Formats: sequence, structure tokens, C-alpha cells
Amino acid sequence: MQATELLRNYYVDTNTWDEMYRDSSVREQYQRVVAFMQQLDLEELNKKEELAKRLFMSQGITFTVYSSGEGIEKIFPFDIIPRIITATEWDHIEKGIKQRLSALNLFLKDVYHNQFILKDGVVPIEMIYSCPHYLREMYNLPVPYDLYVHIAGIDLIRNNDGSFYILEDNLRTPSGVSYMLENREITKRIFPDLLPQNNVRSVIEYPNILHKNLVSLSPRQIANPTIVLLTPGIYNSAYFEHTTLARLMGVELVEGRDLVVDNHRVYMKTTFGLQQVDVIYRRVDDEFLDPLTFNPNSVLGVSGIMNAYRKGNVAIVNAVGNGVADDKAIYCYVPDMIRYYLNEEPILKNVPTYRLDNPEHREYVFNNITNMVVKKTNESGGYGMLMGNNTSDEEIREYCAAIKKDPRQFIAQPIISLSSAPCYMQGKLQPRRVDLRPYALCGPDGIEIVPGGLTRVALREGSLVVNSSQGGGSKDTWVLSA
Amino acid sequence: MPQFKIHHVTRYTYEVPVRDSANQIILFPVKDEFQTVLKQDLTITGEPAVDIYKDYYGNEVGSFMFADAHTELKIDSKIEVVTQPRPLPTDSVPKEEQWNSLQAIRSQVPFIDFLKQESCDVVDEIKRDTQVGQYLKVTPLTAAQKLNEYVYQEFQYIKGVTSVETTPDEIWKLKAGVCQDFAHILLVMLRMTGIPARYVSGYICPNHNGMRGEGATHAWVEAYIPNYGWLGLDPTNNCFVKDLHVRLAVGRSFSDCSPVKGTYKGTSNHSLEVGVSVSYEDGHVQDDHATVLTAQPNTNGLQKSDENSYRRYLEMIQQQQ
Repeated sequence: MQATELLRNYYVDTNTWDEMYRDSSVREQYQRVVAFMQQLDLEELNKKEELAKRLFMSQGITFTVYSSGEGIEKIFPFDIIPRIITATEWDHIEKGIKQRLSALNLFLKDVYHNQFILKDGVVPIEMIYSCPHYLREMYNLPVPYDLYVHIAGIDLIRNNDGSFYILEDNLRTPSGVSYMLENREITKRIFPDLLPQNNVRSVIEYPNILHKNLVSLSPRQIANPTIVLLTPGIYNSAYFEHTTLARLMGVELVEGRDLVVDNHRVYMKTTFGLQQVDVIYRRVDDEFLDPLTFNPNSVLGVSGIMNAYRKGNVAIVNAVGNGVADDKAIYCYVPDMIRYYLNEEPILKNVPTYRLDNPEHREYVFNNITNMVVKKTNESGGYGMLMGNNTSDEEIREYCAAIKKDPRQFIAQPIISLSSAPCYMQGKLQPRRVDLRPYALCGPDGIEIVPGGLTRVALREGSLVVNSSQGGGSKDTWVLSA
Repeated sequence: MPQFKIHHVTRYTYEVPVRDSANQIILFPVKDEFQTVLKQDLTITGEPAVDIYKDYYGNEVGSFMFADAHTELKIDSKIEVVTQPRPLPTDSVPKEEQWNSLQAIRSQVPFIDFLKQESCDVVDEIKRDTQVGQYLKVTPLTAAQKLNEYVYQEFQYIKGVTSVETTPDEIWKLKAGVCQDFAHILLVMLRMTGIPARYVSGYICPNHNGMRGEGATHAWVEAYIPNYGWLGLDPTNNCFVKDLHVRLAVGRSFSDCSPVKGTYKGTSNHSLEVGVSVSYEDGHVQDDHATVLTAQPNTNGLQKSDENSYRRYLEMIQQQQ
């Protein structure tokens, strides 16, 4: 069977936007790739897929799925067919994300200082004060350049009309960027000619831009500030990413036990004695960051680090307390924040969201629960989520009881039919649902978004859950030059 | 216009040297029209630099580190403070008007934090047992006073049955505790009636022996009374706070006001001793109890020395509180 055959068998659900096909013809951005596939035979394609698998294995590109029982070194599933985004689409996404992040950063500065937006009633005070991630410890604490969000991984999805929606703002410790970089490296190995032929924009600059931004935050004006990446350790799902980013940036990878705070400064323990640390790119959650200030049982953090931070002796990336801005209930107010702070209309739309602490919304959601996805406002990675179309009545009843007990902790959204993209599976091309997470880097000079991102794939047929923590896979993501 | 000299000593001792200690102290008296601080001397083992900042609730919070190996950490605070009596509320405004004004500030900063119940599952039970309805039929001041009395009468003052981690649920079942537990229960009750209430930590300075809470830091409650402001209520002694209480900090509960807390690396076996003494400018001098320290229960629950030296040296971050 020729690869042409395998393209012919591609079946697209009429109610879904497919990234490659429209009205049974191949979209322009995919035509070169399809032409390339057509001159390959199936055996070659299988060889390439096998090579990709081996490369993932030999390079140890892993992501832990805590519930899978496969241990901590589970290979992150990769699909060899790239997801392609046109220059026009990217331009729209880039503008929209920049706008959104500008507003979210101003919001964080505001809620931790003057609280204008609360006084003007644009965001209800109750929303903020009931959010467990609104950290009173951050109130009036100055951060360098008033920057709170240095790294964001904003999730976008595409509805059946093809328009992009913001699904989540991840402003704490978004993961996945190392897979964006590794996926591209794999594509270079298996399809070396395709990237230049298609004018695919490079993503390789990401570690350099991040490093440049980290250096710029150093409180000491010295030539070589000490920058560290603070990881919770090998049991964290994204440990592979922590090691990769530290290596690519040439910074030290440390755990909490490698650091100590003395005289309100943070030091790294080295074989040559203590070395002062200037900037910490931390992948440890707020709650575990400082056992003196937050969770006293944490062994992942560094005691007293908040005091060094408050004194301005160390920069922490992302800032502490960002969870108040990516809370899934506060998400509803982001379009209003954009209007309030920037006096602009939002470029990228929100997914319609029902707040379950609102009795009218709650009733509507309960009556239409089979068309809804219900999420916990403070969970991520697809944990604690209910897909109403795919759950037994018994489970729905239990979930609704939990909602009634503490409605502020839940939101609901209509189930959106994510766009599909072709995946090479079992010798066939099959459509699978995808989302898109581009990575934005905010520094003193502005916001830069590396043209690309992580396309996450729901590997099961018909599934709409793409989270890597729920066993999702990924694709290389191409942004084409104009 | 009483003037007090307060001596507060906190001492941690460790079986074997520990290091990398980071600490937070909230031992600086509030400075306002009812309280003037004449002098404060703070001495800490190793003389570390203490950085002082104002936290979200306006409290002065100090932080210091002690990274070198040490077997003792002593925090010695001597303060001289003058307090002013404050007249009680006149309570002349009709009660409906007062309850309405409390209703109107529910969603305002800072009251919103002082109305939210903190992880308490027994609120409904407390409402039933205290017959909450009756308190809504009187003025907020009378309600606060009655609830203060309720706690004083229904709860036994027993040392050692609770710890700093005891929750309101547990206190409610025990019906006993110390000043901190009395304060936590009164906070739940005031908040359930809609009266904003905050935790206060400080010292009690009666001129004669016989008040509960002497010889240690004390804790009580402030209730927000319309047209007046924050009114101090001491459920441990069933009284209003006049000029015998010295305030250190306010917060949602103990955890916002913990006078001394810290972490270190090293053995889990430490002992904590605390002493507080008060003397008076009017000539009445009590013994300096601060020189007589009282051992505090170890919150780690590890009382016995671990015979395994390897484990003893394992670098676990230990909590000291």
C-alpha cells in the first residue's frame, strides 16, 4: 500500500475543524508535506516512526503520568506528522497572547498593591479573597520591573468554525517547552529536508531568550550573576524538562537542599563553599517554596527564601502568587481586565465559562451537565475534571454533591469540539484532537513568543482530553514564515 | 496610664548541633494611640541581622537566619510599653442599623478576611448549641459580650490538652484549652453571627496575680463594632480589653500571628522553653519569671531520643514552633 492510500482513508468528522483537510482537499499549508508523504512508501514511513521512537528512548524524553503505574520514566508519546500553523494564524495568536499577558501582569501588580480593579468592582473582591493562591505574603512586595509573569504557557483550542479560543492561562510553572524543542530536533532527524522547504520558523532561540531575561533580573549588577533552576527532583513529572532547560541555558540545576538562606541572601552550596544566588527559575510550586512562610512540611523548598525575595536580594521566576491570575474562575474576568487596563477589545476569545458559585449558572450547568466539562478552579493537568458526556450517572451525582459543598472551587464550560490533526497510527493516518500551547517570555524589554509551541494530542479516538498528565501525546508544531 | 516592663524569653536547645536555621518573630508591640513603646531590646544568639517589615495585616514582622552550627537559640525581648484605657462603645445606635452596617461591609477589605470561617466543620453544630438566633436579636456589642461569656463558661481552662495546631473542630469537642483555643472558638462564633473578628496575640499584664495567661504570651479577640471600631474581648478572662493587655499582632488566626517560628536542619530532638514576666512602674514588681523558663511540648511528637545516630543526622528540615 502506498502512502497515498493512507491519505485517502483519512476520515474527517463533519462537525470538526481539521487542521489538514477541508472539504476533502488538503489545505495549502499542508500541501508540501502531503506531497512528500505521497512519494514515500509505507515502509519508509514506518522506519521513520521507528527512528523517532528510538530517539525518544535513547534521549530519555519522558513525562511522568503519576497514575499510569509505569514508573517515573515514561516516554512522552510523539507523533511524526507535524501540526502546521500559517503566518496569518500565528500573527493573530501572537498579538492576542501579548495583549492578554500585558493585562494579566498589570492585574497581578494591581491585586498585590493598590487593588484599583477591586475598588472599581470590575473583579469581585470575594473572587480574589476566596482564591487560595491569593498570597497575602505578596502584598506590597516589590518585584523587579513589576514583572510577575516571566514565562507563560497559554493553552489555545480551535472550535469547529476554526477560530482560536483561550482555554487556560498557565502563569505559575507551565511545563512542556522542552518537548517543543525536542520535537523539533526529532523532526530535523527524520524529515531533514521538509523544514527548509516549508519555511518553518525556528524555535531554537527559546533557551537564549529565557537566559537573557533571567540575567536581566539579577539584583547584583555583575557580569556573571548566578542563575539556578530549582527543581522538586526526579519524582516530578517534568524532571526531564528541568534537566534539559538547565543544560540548554548553562545554569545550575539545584534542589531545595542545595540552597541555604543566610543574612537574607540565598546561597548555593558548592564544593568551593557558598556561592550567592541571584536569580532562581523555580519549578517548585508556591506552597512548597518556603517552609518558613508557607507549608511547613515541605522538604522541596528553601526556608527563608521569601525574606530574601522581599529584600530584593534574589529574583524568583515566575513571581510568587501568580496563581490568583490563572485561577479558572478568575479566568472569566480576563476579557474585562483587558478592557480595564489596556482599553482594548480582547483579540482572542475566552471559552464561555459558568461559575458554579453563581446559583443561576449552577442550575444551568446541572441541567445540561452531559454537554459540559466541569473543572476544579485550582487544579491543573486535567486532574479532578469531569467530562459530562462520558461519565456514569453515579459519578455525576457524586461530583455534583462535591460542587454543592464548595461551589467556588468549580467552573463549567460547554464541551468544545477541539480541532483534529492527522496522526500516523498503526500504519494509517487518523484524525486526533489537538490543542496548542505556545510559550511566551516576558522580560524588561517586552514579550517574546517563540514561533511554535507544543501541540498536545488526545491519543484515544474521539477523546477530547489532551493533557500530558492524562497520557496525551504531542506533535512538532510548525509556524510558517509569511 | 499603666506602664509595663515585659521580659519575654524563648529558648530552643538541641541535643546535637543544628544549622541553617531561618526564623520569623512577631514580637514588636503595635504602636498606636492606645499603646506607646518606650523601649525594646532584642537579643538573639549569634546576633544575626533582623529585618523588619510590615505584613499584610500591618504587623511588624522580623526575620533572621542563623546558618552556623549551634546547639541553642535564645530570643530575648525586653520591652517597656505604656497603654491608654479606651472608653467602651456607647451602643446608642438602634440595633437594626448596626447589623445593617455590618452587612454592608461584608465584602470589603479588610473585613472580608475576618468574616471567613477557617476550615471549621462544626459551624452548624455551634450555631445550634449556642442558639445563634438569640444573638441576632440584640446589638452586636451585646452579642459579642454574651458570646465571650459563653466561651468563658462552657470551656475549661486546661493547659497541655491542646497545641498550636489544634483546630476549632477539636476544641469544640474537647470543650477545653488555653487562651489561644478560647480565642479561636470565639472567632468562629463571632464570624457566624456576621461580626468581623480577628485574632490578637500579646501579653496580659494584671497588677495582681490571678489572671489566666500570665507567664506566657496571651491571645484574645477583637470584634468589629459599628460606629466604634475594633473592640478587644478576652474570653479566657471574660472581660473587655482595657489597658492591661499589650498587643503584638492581629490576624485571621494564630498562624498569622505566631510570635516565634522557625525551621532548621538537623536532629528532630529539640526542646523549647518560654518565659514571660511583667513588672510595673508603680513599684509593684513581680519576680522575673522570664528567668524561669517553662518547657513547651514538642510539636514534632518525638520525645524520645533516637538511638540511631545515622537517622539523627539525616538532614530533615525540622519545624520549631
